[in-house]
Amino acid sequence: MRTMATTARAFQPTLLMIAWHSLRRRAGAFVASFLAMFLGATILMAFASMLDTASAGDATGEARNTLVTMATVVGGWGLLLVVFAVTSTLTLSVRQRGAEMALLKSVGATPGQLGRMIVGEAAGVAVVAALLAVPPAMLVGRGLLGLLHGTGQVPDGVGYAFGPVAPVMGLGITFASATAAALITARRATRVRVTESLAAAETDTVRMSRKRMVGAGLALALGLNLAVVTATVMRGKGSDAMATAGQADICAALGLALLAPVIIRWATGLLAVPLRALGVTGELAISNLRRRTARMASIVTPITLFTGIGVGTLYLQHTENAAMDAAGLAKTAEQKSIETLNFVVIGMIVLFTAIMLVNTLVAATADRRREFGQQRLAGATPAQVLGTVALESAVLTVVGVACGTVASLFTILPFAIARTGSAAPDGGPGTYLAVVALAAVLTGATAYGAARKAIRPAAVDAVAAS
Amino acid sequence: MYGGEGNRVTALDGVSLSLPTGSFTAVMGPSGSGKSTLLQCAAGLDRPDEGRVFVDGAELAGDGEAALTRFRRQRIGFVFQQFNLMPTLTVMQNVTLPLRLAGRRADKAAARAVLERVGLGDRLGSLPSELSGGQRQRVAIARALVTEPKVVFGDEPTGALDTRSARDVLVLLQEAVQVYGRTVVMVTHDPVAAAHAGSVLFLADGRIVGHLVRPTAEQVAERMTHLADEVERQRAQAGV
Repeated sequence: MRTMATTARAFQPTLLMIAWHSLRRRAGAFVASFLAMFLGATILMAFASMLDTASAGDATGEARNTLVTMATVVGGWGLLLVVFAVTSTLTLSVRQRGAEMALLKSVGATPGQLGRMIVGEAAGVAVVAALLAVPPAMLVGRGLLGLLHGTGQVPDGVGYAFGPVAPVMGLGITFASATAAALITARRATRVRVTESLAAAETDTVRMSRKRMVGAGLALALGLNLAVVTATVMRGKGSDAMATAGQADICAALGLALLAPVIIRWATGLLAVPLRALGVTGELAISNLRRRTARMASIVTPITLFTGIGVGTLYLQHTENAAMDAAGLAKTAEQKSIETLNFVVIGMIVLFTAIMLVNTLVAATADRRREFGQQRLAGATPAQVLGTVALESAVLTVVGVACGTVASLFTILPFAIARTGSAAPDGGPGTYLAVVALAAVLTGATAYGAARKAIRPAAVDAVAAS
Repeated sequence: MYGGEGNRVTALDGVSLSLPTGSFTAVMGPSGSGKSTLLQCAAGLDRPDEGRVFVDGAELAGDGEAALTRFRRQRIGFVFQQFNLMPTLTVMQNVTLPLRLAGRRADKAAARAVLERVGLGDRLGSLPSELSGGQRQRVAIARALVTEPKVVFGDEPTGALDTRSARDVLVLLQEAVQVYGRTVVMVTHDPVAAAHAGSVLFLADGRIVGHLVRPTAEQVAERMTHLADEVERQRAQAGV
């Protein structure tokens, strides 16, 4: 009994040491989480520095309002996306190390110890990422203020300030969201028993948790609420409807992204017949989509956010422009500047989701080296492996784009009703097609490139190294 | 069956051997003796820097992985220590996969017959993660045999199994030779496993240093114990 207690105590520093070595030796596994945190912290701090600017740079009245609104509204949405992205990449990296976790458990690590290890790693990465994000955040913040100066919303006399709010918020939020995400991930990873761990690492058909369903329901309800408010309360109130309409698609996209595992399974069932007709590569794609839904869902998430927010905002602006034209009104300087700002802000969010897409896809594909090796040893040529990946990507793109399109309608339709009285949005199909094409190219090219790299080593070596 | 192996100094050096159809050969040797390289070159998984490989009269040639894959598909089956089954496919799907990848009809009846032969006729819909190690290896054997290959290569096929499952696997390999006329080459470090083969080749420092026909486990173990002395003696004779 006594020896056991001593061993357990001695094990604490050991686990910290493992966490540290894990970070150093397997930096690759943490790149995705690091990037998500780094970019997230950059965006968060850039917007939070508007608060610093507002209080330090003696801005008053309207200018002060603009700065505070920008920081809170946009920063708030940024925060949500960052938490989402960090959770998604962290889950991925922990899942990739399922075998390592099982090994640690089999040599006697308790779930609590493993949990502390996962959380410790995430917290370490978060601090480094947030600190490194300070210089780029200052640059972006300066750029934002420059834009506000240029459009005359903030007088030139108001100078840029960084701190104390921005670094405190940036560091605090990145650290808190990483730790929270790690806690959620760790609970899930450590609850499984040793014998199941390895099996779970190979296939993940785990049912969606109740919490996830509730989260999805809440996000969709909020999105629907915003849509209804836009179409009814904000009807005839002109440009003000943009505020509620612009947020509806983000809510809806988040909700649908949470439902992704269910939607993927459903879509795979629907597409099974045409996929099977394509032969063995189609069949392999089906089984991967069905039995690795959690991993596939982490790829669908950024596609959904990218398409939903991108399409929603662009058509929102199209409709607004058309309404102004119809009323025979020329845009005031302020309206023009709001338009520019809209595009900058949304551009940043869309860019973030695009980077998340590439990031997640690269991490998820690199992890499949062993699986590709097994497929090749079973007699698959490189072309057949890449063909399977291409089909999977196609299905994921279709699912993500479909979800994103539905989400964008939460913004587009109500705003058109509020602004023009008819549900038909303005702007031709060109914009939509361009966004969809971009999503497809990003997904396809990244998946193809990452898969090519993953099949470069000889199949026997790929299978041996785990 | 195959011959002409000249490889990197470190792995294989001037090894040349040919194995008759319908033979069961075990390859033994200490770690680093080159036995895995020999197997991988012979099986078309790796290409020797020098030397040629023939399987069933056809030379392993052609550029690129796709060409090698096509060559292997028609003639070679594999069984690995770590099974290497596709985790997302069922037992039945795993066994028919090589046929499907080769563009051949997935003969379900034939696949079922092979799976029944290895004693897994009732687990067709299971995933590999739901099976024991011994069962997984039997699926791997069924997968290796379903394409009716000329040669089946085993890389420590019993290395991850308990004695009883190992025996089942070895009996299945023997059956493939005796009943179905396949040629089996198996790398192993277990004298008991080697004793199931018709003959044993001993490899050390990338050279063949010994040969036993109809071995018993005791003979194999004895030979392995004195392998180092033997290598020393042969070196002295060669005047190195």
